[in-house]
Amino acid sequence: MTAEAEGRVYNVGGQDWDEIVAAADEMADSPGEERLVINMGPQHPSTHGVLRLVLTLDGETVTELRPVIGYLHTGIEKNMEFRTWTQGVTFCTRMDYLSPLFNETAYCLAVERLLGIEAEVPRRANVLRVLMMELNRISSHLMAVGTFGMELGATTVFLYGLREREKVLDLFELISGLRMNHAYVRPGGVSQDLPPGALERIREFLTVMPGQLAEIRALLDANALYIARTKNVAHLDLSGCMALGITGPILRATGLPWDLRKSQPYCGYQTYEFDVPTVDSCDVYGRYLVRMAEMDESLKIIEQCVDRLAAKRPAHDPVMINDPKIGWPAQLALGPDGLGNSPAHIAHIMSQSMEALIHHFKLVTEGFRVPPGQVYAAVESPRGELGCHAVSDGGTRPYRVHFRDPSFTNLQSVAAMSEGGLIADVIAAVASIDPVMGGVDR
Amino acid sequence: MTPEALAAAARDRLPGARCESASGSVTLEVSPAGWRDALRCARDELDCDFFDWLTAVDEGERGFTVVVHVYSLAGRHHLLVRTQVSRSSPALASVTGIYRGADWHEREAHEMFGVVFDGHPNLAPLLLPEGFDGHPLRKDFVLAPRVDKEWPGGREPGEGEDRPARRRLRPPGIPEEWGPR
Repeated sequence: MTAEAEGRVYNVGGQDWDEIVAAADEMADSPGEERLVINMGPQHPSTHGVLRLVLTLDGETVTELRPVIGYLHTGIEKNMEFRTWTQGVTFCTRMDYLSPLFNETAYCLAVERLLGIEAEVPRRANVLRVLMMELNRISSHLMAVGTFGMELGATTVFLYGLREREKVLDLFELISGLRMNHAYVRPGGVSQDLPPGALERIREFLTVMPGQLAEIRALLDANALYIARTKNVAHLDLSGCMALGITGPILRATGLPWDLRKSQPYCGYQTYEFDVPTVDSCDVYGRYLVRMAEMDESLKIIEQCVDRLAAKRPAHDPVMINDPKIGWPAQLALGPDGLGNSPAHIAHIMSQSMEALIHHFKLVTEGFRVPPGQVYAAVESPRGELGCHAVSDGGTRPYRVHFRDPSFTNLQSVAAMSEGGLIADVIAAVASIDPVMGGVDR
Repeated sequence: MTPEALAAAARDRLPGARCESASGSVTLEVSPAGWRDALRCARDELDCDFFDWLTAVDEGERGFTVVVHVYSLAGRHHLLVRTQVSRSSPALASVTGIYRGADWHEREAHEMFGVVFDGHPNLAPLLLPEGFDGHPLRKDFVLAPRVDKEWPGGREPGEGEDRPARRRLRPPGIPEEWGPR
C-alpha cells in the first residue's frame, strides 16, 4: 500500500470479513465505483515463483494487467563479468533453474564461437549435450504440465508430474553428480564422461516413460473440466507472437513449426530424427498438447543418443576438446573411492614437471583468453529461444554477457493474453507461458 | 536469404550504415540519429519482422553500444543492428513503436545502463527495486557484495583480530580503498 493509492485500501488479513462485506455492500449502492485493483503475488501459489500481477477488475473481467517482476534479480550478468569464462557456467546454470543444461549450452556455444573452436568440440561431447538437454526438456515440461494441472485444481497431475520428473533428476544425479545447477557443459565439451551403468539406467527410463506420459494424458486430454478451463482461453495468434518476440510452445501452438533445432541446428541436431509438433488453436489447451508431444519427440532423440553412445567406441573418444590451452589437463572428477581419478596427472605436476604445474595453476585459476569480438548463440530451450550474447575484450573474463531468456520475453504477453478475459483465466494464461522467474529476473 | 544477400540488401537501402557479414551473421552499424529508420527498414524491407532482443554494452569512454537482434522467420535470416550513444548524454529513440516486444528490453537497458529511450511509453524500473541508485551493469558500478567480510575468529592458534596474518588479495573490480584492511 502506498501513500498515493487512490480509492480505499483493504488488507484482507483474516477475521475482517464482515468489514469487507459491509464495504462491498456500500460500494454496490454507488455506481461507477466498481473498479477493483487486486494485487496477486509475489507470494501466490499459482504465480510460478515470485511473479506479481496487479489486476484491475470490472466485476470478474480483467481490464488491465500489469506484471511486476524483479523479485528474484540476482545480478548474474554482472557477476559473470568478474569470473573466468569457465566459471561463468556455474552462474548461468542458476538462471532458469528448471532448464539448467540449456543455459549452460547456450553460454558454452557462444564462448566456443568466440574462440572459433565450434568444429573441434568432440563428437561424444555433442551427443552427451543433446542427451542431457533432451532429458532436461522432459523434466522441465513435466514440471510445467504438473503445476499447470495443480493451478487448475488437478492435484493428481502435479503428483504424477513431479514423480516422473524425479526419475530424470536421478539420471542427472548419476551423470553429472547434481540434481540441478549442474555446470556439466563446459566451453570445449562436457565436464565428465558417463559413469558405468548410466546407459542401462537411461534405457530403463526409456521403457518406463512412454507409459507414464500416457497416464498423464489419460487424466487431462479429454477431461471436461480441464478442457473448459483451457480451450479458447488466453488466445494469442501468430502476429501477436511475432511482434512481442514470443517463442517456444506458445509460438508452436499458433501452427508455426519454428524450432531452432531445425532452423539453425547446433550440437549436431540435424543428424537426429524428430518432428516439431504444432497445433493451430492459439490457446492454452494447444500449448499443453505441444508440450506433451514434445516430450515424446525428446524420448525419440534420447533413444538415438543412447544408440550412438553404446556403439563401439574409437580408441580416442574424449568428451573435452583436445586443446591444452582450453580443456583442463585432466578429467578432474571425484572417483567412487572418494579420491581423484587422475593420480598420474597429479604425480606429474607435483613431482616431475614444474612447467606442467605452472600451466595447470594458470589454466585453473586465471583461465584461458578469448579473442575480442561479439557473438550471439541460441538454443531451443523448453520455453523457447534461449540465447547468449557474449562480448569479449580479449581477456580471461567476459566483458559482457547478456542472456535472451525466453521466460522474460514470453512473460510480456501475459497482458495481451489476459486483458478482456476473466480473472480465473489469468491463472491458466500464466501457467501456459510457464515462466521461470529465475530466468526472467536473472 | 543468405547472409551475403542480406548484407547487400541492407547496404542498398541504408547507405549511411556500416555493414559486416562474418561467420553467417550480419551486423549493421548505424548512427543514433538513423536508429529508428534502420529498424523500420529492417522490419518492412528486409523482412525481419520477428523481434528477438535488445541490450546494451558499456564501452567505457566511447559510451554505450545498443544492440538489437531481429529475425525473419520466413527467410530464416537474422540481423544484428548496433549503434553507439555517448556516455555524457546516452539517449536514443525508442523502437517500441516498431517492435512492441522491445518494451521490457528497453526498460531493462535503461535501468542497467542509464540509456534513455525517447518515446518509450513507460520507462520505469523493471527489475531493480524502487529508489535504487545507480546503473548496475555500467563498468564503474562496483559490485559491492564482492568485498568480503573478514572472518572474525583466528584461523590459526595465536592469530590476532587486529593483525592480518597474510597479504589480502582484493577481488577483481574492487577499488583499493574498499573493504576490510
